[in-house]
Amino acid sequence: MSGPTIDRRGLLGAGVATAAALGISGVAMGEGAVLAPGVRKADLAAALQAFRGVVGDEWVAGNAGSLKPWSKSYTPDPSGRHAPVGAVCPDSVEQVQAILKIANQYRQPLWPVSTGKNMGYGSTTTAAPGQVVLDLKRMNRILSVDVELCTALVEPGVTYQQLRDYLDEHNIPLWIDVPTVGPIVGPVGNTLDRGVGYTPYGDHFMVQCGMEVVLADGEILKTGMGSTKNPSAWQAFKWGYGPYLDGIFTQSNFGVVTKMGLWLMPAPPVYKPLVVRHKKVEDVARIVDAMRPLRIANIVPNVVLMMGAAYQLAMFHRRGEVYAGAGPVPEAAFAEFAAQHDLGMWNTYIALYGTSAQVAESERIVRAAFAAIDGEVMTEDQMQGNPWFHHHATLMRGGLSLEEVGLARWKGSGGGLAWFAPVAPAKGSETQGQIDLAHQILAKYGFDYTAAFAIGMRELHHIIALLYDKSDPEEEKRADACYRELVTGFGDRGWASYRTGVHAMDLVAAQYGETNRAVNAAIKQALDPNHILAPGKSGIA
Amino acid sequence: MALWKRLGVAGFALVLAAPLFAQTSAAVSSAQTSAAVSSAVPSGTPLGQPLAQRSPTKTYASVCAYCHGHNVGPIILGRHLAGDTIRTMVREGRNGMPAFRPSEISPAELDALAVWISKAPGNPMEHGE
Repeated sequence: MSGPTIDRRGLLGAGVATAAALGISGVAMGEGAVLAPGVRKADLAAALQAFRGVVGDEWVAGNAGSLKPWSKSYTPDPSGRHAPVGAVCPDSVEQVQAILKIANQYRQPLWPVSTGKNMGYGSTTTAAPGQVVLDLKRMNRILSVDVELCTALVEPGVTYQQLRDYLDEHNIPLWIDVPTVGPIVGPVGNTLDRGVGYTPYGDHFMVQCGMEVVLADGEILKTGMGSTKNPSAWQAFKWGYGPYLDGIFTQSNFGVVTKMGLWLMPAPPVYKPLVVRHKKVEDVARIVDAMRPLRIANIVPNVVLMMGAAYQLAMFHRRGEVYAGAGPVPEAAFAEFAAQHDLGMWNTYIALYGTSAQVAESERIVRAAFAAIDGEVMTEDQMQGNPWFHHHATLMRGGLSLEEVGLARWKGSGGGLAWFAPVAPAKGSETQGQIDLAHQILAKYGFDYTAAFAIGMRELHHIIALLYDKSDPEEEKRADACYRELVTGFGDRGWASYRTGVHAMDLVAAQYGETNRAVNAAIKQALDPNHILAPGKSGIA
Repeated sequence: MALWKRLGVAGFALVLAAPLFAQTSAAVSSAQTSAAVSSAVPSGTPLGQPLAQRSPTKTYASVCAYCHGHNVGPIILGRHLAGDTIRTMVREGRNGMPAFRPSEISPAELDALAVWISKAPGNPMEHGE
């Protein structure tokens, strides 16, 4: 297959190298901005001016001061290569089309975001230097809610809070499914990054149905049934006819998704959250092996979080409360603090949904499965006043919470957080080796193992929160190096990440092989020959 | 309308009466309180329309109150913080706090919010630092 004649992947880093040679500040904004390869300062200025003509002066940012809200990030960026050089905020599909036309004219790359709160993965910062954020948050219309089919069609700026409010104000008995920062993020962005929630509808891409995509040349594609003469099944039937296209617009830079359909779960008559506590870290394999058949048979229907004590404690406590020494917190210190707070070393949160009889029968099976491996199954009544239980009981019914933002305070006031999320099959044999490797790499760099496992239908996500003090430049460098070693170390053992932040997209993409990268490059070249959409996203130039 | 009702499931009334929480045995948790507070302040935006400008109480309940006064961020009500301080904190974030863009909290919403927070009395229901 023919590809681009220039090495665009190599060019992604060229801006930084040039800036360093010229002694330009690493903070890539305003007058000292590090531009995208091939873009001149006059091109950026002209593009920003043309954007103002489309959306109005107040919805374009292009200097250091006005760009601050788009530059805040929790992920490590020691060389300042991820800050955007501008931002433009359209409020309609027509404005998006006009902006893409201008971007093509000036070859100015754009970095689309929906709600821009992908905290720990980069927020509104960009994978490569010199990009203008295409901020879709103002496109926040809920376009339809079908109470019979239990579906919705929304724009990228709609938050889960907004959708929840709409359903409540209209007494519509449907649940939403949220990630851990639900109030300020939304279905489109989370689904496009293939994020998860914790009800039975937790695999967000699985319950996505139909997209409207503005392509780089301004054409509008409606996937699935959306382009037929009677698109009434747009939110009912995912697959349409011919090649299924929705997937290529997730974790990619092939188009700008401006509408997305999703399925909503009917509120069940009975909802029963439970936690299974285990006191020993080495119980991890037995828990996964016990949970796998329950998930596959759908007896436990929700995305299960198996939370390590350290991750749980980091939500509501600061490191100094647990351990005053230097270096990683010893396991014994976590164990002692966890016991004092009614937590196990593993706290596995599941929920049952349905009629009383369904829930009772499922609970009987679940209790038997965990009694066999010394699991302590606790109910909501038994966990009264336990903030961790209430946090997870909230998430497993699609309730809204920002309590996980507390993680950013673990190492002090600096607010550093990067999610590392390798994937394995849901087998106990895949767990202890990962934990040992994580401890080894994190300890080398002086960081704590604050982690959980999410158990899906067949897979196991290891979710490691790399928590560091971003206000300390030396620690930020160390966190960056640590993250890279986690990616490569786990990748070498076959545990590649399912998702990553803007700081490591190329590194993770490399683990999926050259053929995969060549196919992505060919699609990119066909759909966006000027490479104006988010070069560097998922390692695709 | 309710799927469970159509299935003839006993207990569907709970679905209709309490769609947000369904049937749980526990008292309302603190997290549920925030969501309930937010939902109690209607946004009133119809289908197909952009989100209307939110009142300061709605903005506070929909965004700020999930952290501030909820164990995550410091309590800010009743402290008579200066409006400029509030505006800067919202736009830039500080430490663990996210920055909120004009596309998320509009300039008009932020102006009203800053005035409201600076004048608001403390809320005894809030807790934390």
